[in-house]
Amino acid sequence: MFDWPLLQQNAPLLLGALWVTLQVSIAALAIGFVIGIVVGSLRLSPIPLLRRLGGAYIFVFRGIPLLVQLLFIYYFLPRIGLPNVSPTVAAIIGLSLAAGAYTAEIMRGGFLAIPGGQLEAAGLLGLSASQMLIRIRVPQAVRLTLPALVNEMILLIKASSLVSVVGLADLTRTAQNLAASDYMFVQDYLMLAGFYCLINIPLAYCGSLLERRLKEQTA
Amino acid sequence: MTFDPTIITDHLGDIGSGFLVTLGTWSSGVVLGIALGMLIAVAQVFGNRLVRAPLRVFIELIRSTPFLVQLFLVYYGGPSFGLSLDPIPAGILGLGVYGSVYFAEIFRSGFESVARGQLEAADCLGITRLQCIWRIQVPQMLVIILPALVNMITVLCKETAVLSIITIPELTMVLTGIGSETFAFVETLLMLCIGYLILVEACSRLGMLLETRVGRFMNKQPR
Amino acid sequence: MNSFLIPSGAASASTREKQGERMKTSATAPGDQPTIVSLSKVGKSFGSLRVLKGIDLQVQRSEVVCLIGPSGSGKSTLLRSMAFLEEYDEGEIRIEGQLLGWQDTDRGRRRAPQSQINQVRRNVGMVFQQFNLWPHMTALGNVCEALRRVRKLSADEANRRGMAMLEKVGLAQKANAYPAQLSGGQQQRVAIARALAMEPHIMLFDEPTSALDPELVGEVLQVMKTLAKEGMTMVVVTHEMGFAAQVADSVIFLDQGEVVARGTPQQIFHNAEQPRLQQFLQNYLDRNAFWQDGKQ
Repeated sequence: MFDWPLLQQNAPLLLGALWVTLQVSIAALAIGFVIGIVVGSLRLSPIPLLRRLGGAYIFVFRGIPLLVQLLFIYYFLPRIGLPNVSPTVAAIIGLSLAAGAYTAEIMRGGFLAIPGGQLEAAGLLGLSASQMLIRIRVPQAVRLTLPALVNEMILLIKASSLVSVVGLADLTRTAQNLAASDYMFVQDYLMLAGFYCLINIPLAYCGSLLERRLKEQTA
Repeated sequence: MTFDPTIITDHLGDIGSGFLVTLGTWSSGVVLGIALGMLIAVAQVFGNRLVRAPLRVFIELIRSTPFLVQLFLVYYGGPSFGLSLDPIPAGILGLGVYGSVYFAEIFRSGFESVARGQLEAADCLGITRLQCIWRIQVPQMLVIILPALVNMITVLCKETAVLSIITIPELTMVLTGIGSETFAFVETLLMLCIGYLILVEACSRLGMLLETRVGRFMNKQPR
Repeated sequence: MNSFLIPSGAASASTREKQGERMKTSATAPGDQPTIVSLSKVGKSFGSLRVLKGIDLQVQRSEVVCLIGPSGSGKSTLLRSMAFLEEYDEGEIRIEGQLLGWQDTDRGRRRAPQSQINQVRRNVGMVFQQFNLWPHMTALGNVCEALRRVRKLSADEANRRGMAMLEKVGLAQKANAYPAQLSGGQQQRVAIARALAMEPHIMLFDEPTSALDPELVGEVLQVMKTLAKEGMTMVVVTHEMGFAAQVADSVIFLDQGEVVARGTPQQIFHNAEQPRLQQFLQNYLDRNAFWQDGKQ
């Protein structure tokens, strides 16, 4: 059933594509993280308009399927004057915007979970709002939500399987191309699944370790 | 950018059938997912080690791989195992299996949320495990897990868009098809976005309605 | 020293009344067995901690046995073992002669199949400290559930029996109320009705009033006293010494997993000889007779 020589031939190609997937996912997580902090803070703002803005962002980017968002990017970037954007950039933009929406909810939860006393103390000591955000609230929120953020990373890696729609040769696209030429569907797609597992299963394990440590610390 | 709504109205029939396909695959996938998920959860909570170990492996595999990859395996890889499915049944199967794992986790935490004492009382009275699950645990845990269930159902709605990649004529495929033919990308993509936002919002509103109605039986343990 | 626990004459009076009445007919006749529960050399460990050590105990028909003792003495574990909610490790527990929970095979002792366990304990009813009512069902629903699922009664028949049980505990008017709408005392009475509905030959009570506000304790004890008067075999783990003194036929004092003393209420409360028992009773008095200056 398995064509071992072919498998050995295909593996390096998939490995290279895995690297593409990882790059895009990590970049999207980083940018999405920043977006998430911004939108999460918006949602907690005392100004109703800003809260609505944050809520609208989350509603749109969590409500629309990622595939549709990527299609949007693919068809619209040329129209707003960026016809030569590389597929990589397009993919990162698409993934970041979506990641931002999910991260926003995570960070909002993290911000809310910070004991109020810490912020009071910071305020009394004279720290400005932006200093408080960067030096106290974000690090604390990250510490509290690390398991959820790891989970978000796993979700991003899985979501990245759709970026072929913007022309990027990621892991899935590469496997599709291989299967189209050698017709070894089961083998190629099982290998594909295997590569995703290679990254995601250790990540999931880290996530549950972190979660357990967090429970012990806050118990 | 000009906006030409007639593009939409001209193709209303196709769009309508695409919408129906989305609804159909979504609901079938959800039903399959919940049924399978309940089976898996019961096996995990009440089954012995021989049953739990392979299930654990299965769950990890499904959770670690993208939905699209699972679809490919079912649709393109299936024939090698004698499972030659048309796109729509393959899509429903894929959606159901994918969702079952997440539903199973939800159900599992639901089982564990019902106080042990109630199960002991049932046990003492001679009520069998199956009766206990069906009459005592499931009714109570439904209230608790309802938000998570609604959330997962919404997630599955969005995943139906991925079904377009294996040529299922649901909403995404239909509208992007129209867009490619007529070059009316603005209208079709906008329509697509609005369509999903409506579905997602309707789903969560329904969920909230159910939550308040079922919440009458909110768990109130004696102090 | 402890004489105020027993009002004069009450003990003998209740015994007389009990022997006068007959138990109501049950689904399965109690049979000729005079001994409903017998424990022989029962032991249980949680890991390295031995919670029960070599317990020998017999409960006769219509006898009311109260288990008293300090916390950690193993009384709840012992009671729960009689319903096989705790798997005892050593010895035998027999319900009306049948071995509970284990099967002796030629390959040693094995856990009996669930159906067998259910069969042996089908005449055992249990009332829990936390009531354990099912919150999504009404009081009547709770009482009838086992009648319908286990005894396979029709809805009408189950309702009839259920209502009769609720009347017996004085809660017929609350049949359609949900547990959340009932006070603790009412919930516990529903729990008693639920167990009674299955017509057990023996009722086990695991600290039935410990989770109740003091003013609600009385109504539950009253139901239990009525049951005792009607001849129900009962094993009660309790801190209510007054109840034990008035209603029990025997009182067993457990400490650190062993039976330290057993006797009539008169013997245990009046003539306590064992130092551990004396200490326990003195602690109880100190806690409950706080209006008295110093010791008697």
